[in-house]
Amino acid sequence: MNDARLHRLRARSLKLLQLAALFIAMSIICLPGLWVVLNSFRPTVEIMAKPPVWIPQELNLDHYRAMFGDLGEGGVPVMRYFTNSLIISVTSTVIAILVGMAGGYAFARYQFKGKAAIFIGLMLTRAVPGVALSLPLFIVMARTGLIDTHIGLILVYVSLNVPFTIWLIDGFFRQVPVELAEAAEIDGCTRWQAFWKVEFPVARAGVASAGIFAFLTSWNEYALASQLTRSTFSKTMPVGLRDFTSEFTINWGGMCALAVLMIIPALILTFLVQKHLIAGLTFGGVKG
Amino acid sequence: MTRPRLPAWFVLLLPAFIVLAAVVLIPLLLSLYSSFTSYRLTRPETLYNWIGTFNYEKAVQSAHFWSAFGRTVLLLTIALNLEMLLGLGLALLVNQVTYGQRLLRTIMMFPMMFSPLLVGFQFKFIFNDNVGLVNNALQSLGLTNVAIPWLVDGQLAFISILVAEMWSSTSVFAILILAGLFAVPRDPIEAAKVDGCTPWQSFRHITLPYIMPFIYIALAIRSLDVARAYDIVQIMTNGGPARRTELIWTLIGRTGYVDAKMGYANAMGYISIFLAIAFTIYFFRKLNAARAELGMGG
Amino acid sequence: MGHSKLRALLCASALSALGGGAVAGEFDGITLQAKLIGGQQYEALYARIAEWEAETGAQVEILSKKNHFELDKEFKSDIAAGTLGWCVGSNHSSFASQYPSLYTDLTPYLSAEFIEAYVPSNIAASKIGDALVMLPRAQFDVSVLYYLKSIYEDPERQAAYKAETGRDLAPPDTWEEYKAQAIFFTDAPNFYGTQYAGKDEAIVGRYYEMVIAEGGQLFNEDWSPAFNSDAGKRALSWFVDLYQAGAVPPGTTSYLWDDLGQGFASGTIALNLDWPGWAGFFNGEDTSKAAGDVGVIVQPQGSAGIRTGWSGHHGFSVTESCEHKEAAASLVAWLTNEESQKLESAGGSLPTRTAVWDHVLEAAKSDPFRAEAIAAFQEGSEHAFPAPQTPYWIEATNLIYPELQAAILGDKSVEEALADAAKAVDEMMQENGVY
Repeated sequence: MNDARLHRLRARSLKLLQLAALFIAMSIICLPGLWVVLNSFRPTVEIMAKPPVWIPQELNLDHYRAMFGDLGEGGVPVMRYFTNSLIISVTSTVIAILVGMAGGYAFARYQFKGKAAIFIGLMLTRAVPGVALSLPLFIVMARTGLIDTHIGLILVYVSLNVPFTIWLIDGFFRQVPVELAEAAEIDGCTRWQAFWKVEFPVARAGVASAGIFAFLTSWNEYALASQLTRSTFSKTMPVGLRDFTSEFTINWGGMCALAVLMIIPALILTFLVQKHLIAGLTFGGVKG
Repeated sequence: MTRPRLPAWFVLLLPAFIVLAAVVLIPLLLSLYSSFTSYRLTRPETLYNWIGTFNYEKAVQSAHFWSAFGRTVLLLTIALNLEMLLGLGLALLVNQVTYGQRLLRTIMMFPMMFSPLLVGFQFKFIFNDNVGLVNNALQSLGLTNVAIPWLVDGQLAFISILVAEMWSSTSVFAILILAGLFAVPRDPIEAAKVDGCTPWQSFRHITLPYIMPFIYIALAIRSLDVARAYDIVQIMTNGGPARRTELIWTLIGRTGYVDAKMGYANAMGYISIFLAIAFTIYFFRKLNAARAELGMGG
Repeated sequence: MGHSKLRALLCASALSALGGGAVAGEFDGITLQAKLIGGQQYEALYARIAEWEAETGAQVEILSKKNHFELDKEFKSDIAAGTLGWCVGSNHSSFASQYPSLYTDLTPYLSAEFIEAYVPSNIAASKIGDALVMLPRAQFDVSVLYYLKSIYEDPERQAAYKAETGRDLAPPDTWEEYKAQAIFFTDAPNFYGTQYAGKDEAIVGRYYEMVIAEGGQLFNEDWSPAFNSDAGKRALSWFVDLYQAGAVPPGTTSYLWDDLGQGFASGTIALNLDWPGWAGFFNGEDTSKAAGDVGVIVQPQGSAGIRTGWSGHHGFSVTESCEHKEAAASLVAWLTNEESQKLESAGGSLPTRTAVWDHVLEAAKSDPFRAEAIAAFQEGSEHAFPAPQTPYWIEATNLIYPELQAAILGDKSVEEALADAAKAVDEMMQENGVY
């Protein structure tokens, strides 16, 4: 009796401890981010105040208003950046997934010489630091006229994302028994039909998880975008953040406002697909 | 007339090959070539001035280069290990929660929505010694009455960068490890409980082997991606003060773009690529070993 | 197009650019691409581009707007890749000498009178050799001393300072006095005597002017390093002493201009050597806690009796590869003519045309703070000198600043730091074949 109570007490305090730890961990994750969100509503004097102003005295939309305002009044072509970012991220994600599916399928379903080496080789292309790649890439793009175009940046992001996409999707196709696809073929499906009807549905979660990683990478990438975009025609939002740094000053509040506009779509998307994301990663990891 | 058909696997991989060749391979060959020249950005004709291995010799003999190299390895090692441990802890905590987990998982991924550039500015302000969030908090709470120079002091600056880097990347580990926890079968754990195993024992001998592949995947992905820290460091300290936080990437960036010595920068870049490759291959090996242990090698 | 028509067009274009004015419709159908410096204080002028477009019929397409460090990267990449189709670029006197082949000599496109109307020292700093590679806009920068008036009016501080040093407490005229006062005022961590830019090129610029004020030189005639001298050591010791005495915020070696500006505006810094662009910010009710309490005087002098005065100015340049040089020259002349400079200097920046200086002094009369500031800057600019005019200036600063920081933070002694920096610069100059 006493023993059981002790046990229950222990279990309960353990549970409490867990919740406390979770709360602290989540706070650490959220606070720096929420600080950014908060700053986007505060006047810059208050953010930089000394002694600090802990409880915001004044919340307003000034930074947002200025951002959408005219050029010369702190206006930034937000909508252009947003559309550029959206076009580039979505297109590159879709292409990366298609290319990745083809590649993943090849690795999962075919045996060929040097498979492991080719696989590692593909992965290693991701290991090249952006700063080392940016100039030669810039020169190649300039020679081919792809500088400052959506296509140029899309191509780059596809290549950044393809290795990881192949890896994840490869893991998925492996867990679909070959017999299943073969059975479908016997039933009169073509290989192509069998792929879409039998193998693809199983791999959907993998595609979702690869997709979200690819999307976030493209959405946030800065080092290469800052080199390859030259004007508002192709500048993406991370590059747009730089508009708030001028010769001597940083308009931190304004930068936060743009950052919030960047974070919201990513957050929504993540929330929507994260169920698939987890499932996707789960299979991809073990079976890879 | 019949042409020999290309094997199907090759056709399927062809798009990937083409894209990667165009975006990664060709530029890399170009930079490999330029690392053997005295190429200066502002004097394009110097691209044809072959100077052999001069740049490599210079890099290898440079104490600044090696200290930056060493610091980068140190940062990578500490950051990846800590991120892995924290990510594991976080994933275990979130995994315990049954109600509202979807929301928690989204919050957990919150830092992944932040562009590294933004993370740099963010933590630069948070660690500012005069008006920064951390010092203000410490002073308001009465924990200290000095302005701690987070971004200046040798150890603290390194730690500040580490914190920024960890904040932005621990999520990747947490999400992958959480996925791994979902893959752990329930039965063996129940059985272990019946057999009187402590929670630690069942974690150590059942759960951990299952999530090891995920940990190595996360490590491999992160080691591939880790040069993204460049944006963060460049903005927070730009390698300074007095080279106390100089990483190989900030050194390359400054040499190449500000000093305009691209040839030399590319030579250092190549050495740094080998670093990334070494880290990645190491984790791939570990990954395959962990999978083999689970009988899922392949 | 007939020959006579072509000649007429050329004639008209030559005319218009010569005088910095615009002739109606002369550049119909031409589109000029431009890369300009971005930022609040530079934007007002760009509104005038539309006027020029309307007058001449040309179009201006702004390709990028960034700060100069980012623009500098972009220019260098453009040179490397040969993507030089654009015509007009923002330039800065401290950066200009890095790209000797990028920009064209503007002299043939302008009349002698038009050029003479600029402040001669600004024109001199806009040349590479004999080529006039940029036209200065009303963004001339030299630093003077901003201080908090209330500190000096405080009777207790006055008495204490007198008791401690035997001197009256007044805004300093020498850097030695400045140092003593800064240490005296400091009440860390809430209040600091002063601060300085301790990062990147900025610390080297500050050090450079201090070396001059101490009677030394950064470089010899042949560009070999000359700062490892007694004057050079005295100059560096000034920074080291302030840091070691705790009279500057401990993060000062991570500060750039924005940190300094925010710091002084937070009212927690007594003395601040800073640029003209901040005057309005420091005295603005919305932007600064020090508003109403800001005094401005000419920058102090060093032990050699020379005042500091590292200066630079912004300008516009036309690329060598530009297809429409006349039109481009007309645009940059327009953006730096008297009208444009009046508009731009109304925002608080310093003009680079003699006539506009008079205008600015006149306009400031009604506002006591403005008058005080502009008087200080007028006096300060008489002592101004530009950054060393070598293509390797920026590269040299990247070798020097880590060593200066090392000395300031105590990693190295002043002697060691300067010896190491001089050695590195010497090697770099030799490697680049300078001597």
